[in-house]
Amino acid sequence: MPSASLVFQSIVLGVLLGGLYALLAAGLTLYFGVMRVVMIAHSAFLILAAYLAWYAHRETGVDPLLTLLVTVPLFFVAGVAMQRLLLTRLRPATLTMMSVLLTFSVALVIEGLLGYAFSGTQRRIRLNYSSASLEFFGARVAVVKLIAFGLAAAALLGLYLLMRHSRFGQALRATIQHREAAALVGIDTDRIAGYGFGLGLATAAVGGTALSLDSTIYPSLHWHWIGPLMAIIVVGGLGSVPGAAIAAMALGLTQSLLQLELSTTWAQTVFYVALFATLAVRPQGFFGGRLAQRF
Amino acid sequence: MPRDSERPRHTGRFLRLGALLAGIAVALSFPSMAPSPYELTVGIAILNFAVLSTSWNFVGGFTGYISLGHGAFAGLGAYATGLLVTKGELPSFVALFVAAALVAVLAIPVGYAALRVRGASFVIVSIALVLIMLLVFQSWASFTGGSRGLVVPRPFPGKLRSEHHEIFYFLFLGLLALALLAWWIIDRSRFGMGLKAIREDEDKAQSLGTPTYTYKLVVFVVSAAFTALAGGLYGLWFGDLDPVFQFSILSGAYMVLMALLGGVRHLYGPLLGAVIVGYGLEYSKLEYGDTPLHLVFAGLLLGVVVMFMPDGVIPAATALIARVRGTGETSIRELTAAELRDERDEREADVRPDHRPDGKRPDGKRDGKREVRQ
Repeated sequence: MPSASLVFQSIVLGVLLGGLYALLAAGLTLYFGVMRVVMIAHSAFLILAAYLAWYAHRETGVDPLLTLLVTVPLFFVAGVAMQRLLLTRLRPATLTMMSVLLTFSVALVIEGLLGYAFSGTQRRIRLNYSSASLEFFGARVAVVKLIAFGLAAAALLGLYLLMRHSRFGQALRATIQHREAAALVGIDTDRIAGYGFGLGLATAAVGGTALSLDSTIYPSLHWHWIGPLMAIIVVGGLGSVPGAAIAAMALGLTQSLLQLELSTTWAQTVFYVALFATLAVRPQGFFGGRLAQRF
Repeated sequence: MPRDSERPRHTGRFLRLGALLAGIAVALSFPSMAPSPYELTVGIAILNFAVLSTSWNFVGGFTGYISLGHGAFAGLGAYATGLLVTKGELPSFVALFVAAALVAVLAIPVGYAALRVRGASFVIVSIALVLIMLLVFQSWASFTGGSRGLVVPRPFPGKLRSEHHEIFYFLFLGLLALALLAWWIIDRSRFGMGLKAIREDEDKAQSLGTPTYTYKLVVFVVSAAFTALAGGLYGLWFGDLDPVFQFSILSGAYMVLMALLGGVRHLYGPLLGAVIVGYGLEYSKLEYGDTPLHLVFAGLLLGVVVMFMPDGVIPAATALIARVRGTGETSIRELTAAELRDERDEREADVRPDHRPDGKRPDGKRDGKREVRQ
């Protein structure tokens, strides 16, 4: 039986990890909401952002957080371009299935190019605050993990405020809820859907930078992320942002707690167990309707 | 009118039979023509791909459910065969079939969970299946050998390497023939009709009384069993298994790519795709060796196929031929609603001038059950 302080430590780490999961799952939920697209390449973009942060740090020594100024707008534009140039050209009847394959192919290209440019070597950013940690009610928490969580929390909060209190957010929510009706009241739904997609990809830029702070990265790492993220959005109910956030927290915490007793790899199976259990018991997801379109 | 449209169909049938016989002749004589054992191994790799993508096409082609996780069944087939040989001490080919049966049994609960959801969620589940298998087989090293690999003893220890390859070439060819035959039979059966109805409109198929869920599950299990046979045979041939390669999403994606490229609605579609992609992969590995550029090529090819010819090469080519010849194929989905309306208008125009109540058309042929809307 692990000691109480160890359990507490795990809970803290689980919450921090869950925050990052929640941010990334929110991005996936956005794509599904606006386009009915399952974006397999989301985690590939995550790794791409992490590599950009690492590369900028290696070449110029800048803090990885500064790369956000470049990667966030860049990824936003890439997302808009991807939606306008690729996804809207698929046949509506087979959009969901074919979009999976299309985004899968984007993921393969990103992985291949990253491997070509930076080789398969594992990389890690060394910062002067890398090894610093804080004492928090007896739990030791690395500063970089706190920064990563802070980034994720800030991005999620920003996303929430944008969706709730801006005209664009209103238009985006309308587009997600009922595209035809939104078009009827004068919303340019194509443009809004493009921006929504870009917004989703921008969350990958934030998440990737957060990831680069305290993880070892390599080109095929995105496969490691895609499974848990996909599991989270299915458990949360495809298309439901609050569902995704709750599922992300719950599963991140469970994973962290299981690591006390099991190896890291076995602890990761919790996502897949949850995924299959969800499908067997409640295919529409636990925290939202199958097409829950709320934000 | 009917005479004219029958003639190309006859020549088409002859052409098809001729092409089939020529294909069989080439396939059978390939080992004796291959200039070196290397070409023979490329041939085996392509045949392996062809069996895998044909097996995938049982689900993908008939029902339209796209599984990215069939690599899991291939890997399970390979590992189950290997473990049954090494730990169970079964003879190699007994182990192969026992392994396929085991994988088929395992596919039942997996299909039960996965087929409850459609579209996006199904693909997610199929991806998760590969990832979970990778985790299990890497972590459970005491049983599976983990990342150190699992060595499968050769079924024919006395043979030379080249003889070994030749035997496996014909084994893969036989398995391919079996898979194609099974697909062909299902394609023509009532069962196959039900599956295709699921592909076109699952809700309507269900409301018309097709037991859609059972059909999907059965074909999923058949598909898994064939995939496991291909994986197991590969294990016996290659002799060294590593979880990273056996349970890779990439292998599942290659199956999809090959089937889509050739055409999922056609018997030989996956085979054609396997020849193109298999050859391309071998070529790019030979040219670009250790770089991950083959991933980029595969990704770009998949993207191009999805964007520009989601129905595959065979339909694209036949449509082109039909356009040149001025004939068109007719089947459920090949016609748009607008074309159907035009056809109906034409038929009405044909019949109306002296529409007879006895159902006879002006040209004296019976109209059968065809309804003419007034």
